[in-house]
Amino acid sequence: MKIAARFLPVAALVAAATIIAGAQAKAPRTSWGTPDLQGVWNTNTFVPVERAPQYGTRAMMTEEEHAKALADLQERNKRPGRDSREVAGKPAIGTEKDVARAYNEFWFGDKPTKLSYRTSMVIDPPDGRIPPLTPEAAKRIADKREFLAALLQGTSGGHPGPISPRRAERSPDYNLDRINRADGPEDRGGPERCFGNGMPVVMGTGTFGGVMQLVQSSDSVSLYYDIGQGSGFAWVAPITNRPHLPKYVQLYRGDPIGRWEGDTLVVDVTNFSDETDFRGSRENLHLVMRFKRVDANTLSVQFTADDPTTWAKPWTAVQELEKADEKTTQILEPGCHEGNYGLMGMLINTRAAEKAFREGKGPDPATQDNATGGGDN
Amino acid sequence: MRNYLITMMAAVVVAAGATPAGAHHAFAAEFDAKQPVKFEKAVVTKVEWTNPHSWIHVDVTMPDGHKEAWAIEAGTPNVLFRRGFTKQALLPGTAIVIDGYRAKDGSHRANGRNLTLPGGQTLFLGSSGTGAPEEKR
Amino acid sequence: MVTRSIWRGGMVAAAAVVLALAVSSLRTTEDSSTRSARMADGRPNLNGTWQVMNTANWDLLAHTVRPAVSQPGVYENHPVLAAPVLALGSTGLVPAGPGVVEGNEIPYKPEAAAMKRENGEHWLDRDPEVRCYMPGVPRAMYMPYPFQITQSPGKIQMVFAYANASRTIFLEEAPRPPADKWMGHSVGHWEGNTLVVHVTDFNDRTWLSRSGDFHSDALDVVERFTPITPDALRYEVTLTDPNVYTHPWKMSMVLYRQLEDNAALMDFRCLEFVEETFLGHLRKNQLVKHWEGDTIVLDVTRRVPEGDKKYER
Repeated sequence: MKIAARFLPVAALVAAATIIAGAQAKAPRTSWGTPDLQGVWNTNTFVPVERAPQYGTRAMMTEEEHAKALADLQERNKRPGRDSREVAGKPAIGTEKDVARAYNEFWFGDKPTKLSYRTSMVIDPPDGRIPPLTPEAAKRIADKREFLAALLQGTSGGHPGPISPRRAERSPDYNLDRINRADGPEDRGGPERCFGNGMPVVMGTGTFGGVMQLVQSSDSVSLYYDIGQGSGFAWVAPITNRPHLPKYVQLYRGDPIGRWEGDTLVVDVTNFSDETDFRGSRENLHLVMRFKRVDANTLSVQFTADDPTTWAKPWTAVQELEKADEKTTQILEPGCHEGNYGLMGMLINTRAAEKAFREGKGPDPATQDNATGGGDN
Repeated sequence: MRNYLITMMAAVVVAAGATPAGAHHAFAAEFDAKQPVKFEKAVVTKVEWTNPHSWIHVDVTMPDGHKEAWAIEAGTPNVLFRRGFTKQALLPGTAIVIDGYRAKDGSHRANGRNLTLPGGQTLFLGSSGTGAPEEKR
Repeated sequence: MVTRSIWRGGMVAAAAVVLALAVSSLRTTEDSSTRSARMADGRPNLNGTWQVMNTANWDLLAHTVRPAVSQPGVYENHPVLAAPVLALGSTGLVPAGPGVVEGNEIPYKPEAAAMKRENGEHWLDRDPEVRCYMPGVPRAMYMPYPFQITQSPGKIQMVFAYANASRTIFLEEAPRPPADKWMGHSVGHWEGNTLVVHVTDFNDRTWLSRSGDFHSDALDVVERFTPITPDALRYEVTLTDPNVYTHPWKMSMVLYRQLEDNAALMDFRCLEFVEETFLGHLRKNQLVKHWEGDTIVLDVTRRVPEGDKKYER
């Protein structure tokens, strides 16, 4: 049936409304009218954080590029896991490395088999790479690396040489790394002290990649990240007009404040402390996160990271999370600190090793690599 | 000298280079590569299913017949759970075989390097058919 | 005519879509002045930060003022502040409270009653709260720190300032956890205005108070949350544990919503502070050794327990 010309604008409007209504049906909404961000979310699709140079400023791969990258991924998947107890293909039994490694593919397993068409998580700057470090940040990181290397000097995991006198020094920063020393809990770094992950979370794939549960009301958005070995945590972004806490108040996962901008939940996070480290950024980190329900099965989590004392300019990355089946993907209890016999064990046994050395019954613990576990002696 | 069964592992392989980057354990600080242990007859008395590592408490019957209580550090429980394990897989009374490395301070604690469950499944070492859950939920 | 009614229908449909979009973008924030007492589904609105105003975390039973850590004084029934809290003066005292237990008695079995007394005498060494461990349920609900509720039709999420503990109350079917949990597994449903929550799958590691009240892994908890006013909830808890109590017993208290404009759930992040308390004795060189006030001088000696006891957590 031919539609008279004068009805076309209205027909277009109605058609547009129908299309909009259709798109809204795919991304669900809450009963109070905002997009519904809720669910249990994880990802089984691999995306590199930074873009390989061959893609230039392109955010998406071509079909051909994707097929090749997928083949490369499958090749990489065949290699032993990063925690392999093997050296040159053979078990390295009775070595420090054998003691140190605990896990095979069973634990890290589920190597990603899906590959995103995204060339990188980083979408700004346009080259898909994190901006360079500022000179002060580069120095900070170099100083720390020097200190770590000094503590490994003369061990199987470090440069040859005498035991460094720097073993008597305090770490140049608030130590979050595993260093080759166990004088006290501070030497064991964040993960071994069960500090828990900080924000933002870039989720991995597979069993060890973690899951995130999001519960939402008109008041707040409550995230629970179940990641790592019990280093999960809860994080609540209130949807409010209140200002941030005073600048000197430093919180481990910052002070999040949320607001809706159209269909995107924008969460502004400041007030971080020096006890978390996000790729070199500590207390001066400013995050702007953007949560968007793309469709029924996809939640886009984007963040812009800004820290003029660390990066030359701000940068933005995005991760598309996939909806998981709640019946089979449970949120498990965190609890790392409660069961952290390892931290006690390291202190107790280092004291025992020191005592044995004093009594002439064992090697000097300073000559052992108790940091990387990668010694080949 | 304790009379536990020591399986002396042959072939300590030393290789140049190829050190994988960034291990995330420091078992070597707690446990002694020079003191391997192997328990053929260990019976579970209690399991602490807590992160970051589970601890399996066992009564071990030594070759001379006497029993010792040991605590074995195992892997992160969350991965076991995601693989279908529940606490039913390691109830008190379960007989298991353990090999590992003893704590440097001489206490009855060991890093479980390899653990064999009654069904023959092994956790930690091996690349195929390992850690298949006994019960699917 | 047909074309004219299509035109009108189209205009109405388009206008409706535009209006719906406009309304949805108006609801951008909620705070205490605009929060409604009811959710869209008619249920009470539990969103916000809450806290009790009682001394249950110190002692569930009626109690008067006493030292947090006591030693015998000059007189039989009048203990004094012991060394760990001596310099704190009045800030080292347990405040008085009328109790939260119905009948003011916890029906411990005889051996359990003895264990509770012993726990109370050694609470600094034994109370999981001292080590910043997860508090369990119901203790998390009456710690002296706030918690934030995010309520959706399918789940109610509670995040506690204390140690970043959290619990999810599932209002729809949820699989049982694979092993026991510190915070238990919570399944809830509404009975009119009351939220009823059944909590199971506990481990035996948490306490119920600083006075040494405890339970086994057979603990079964039923909670009832009933609004008294839009900003106050009656919170009732029935505890059953045949290993420890002779019969089920009940506690009852009020949860108050924080109404300050700048109310914020700030982490009570205790972890790195308690390391010195319960791991400091394992340092290569002792860190905390000495303190001096005007009239008190404290010297600290650490010791490492014998054998496997040194590994106890």
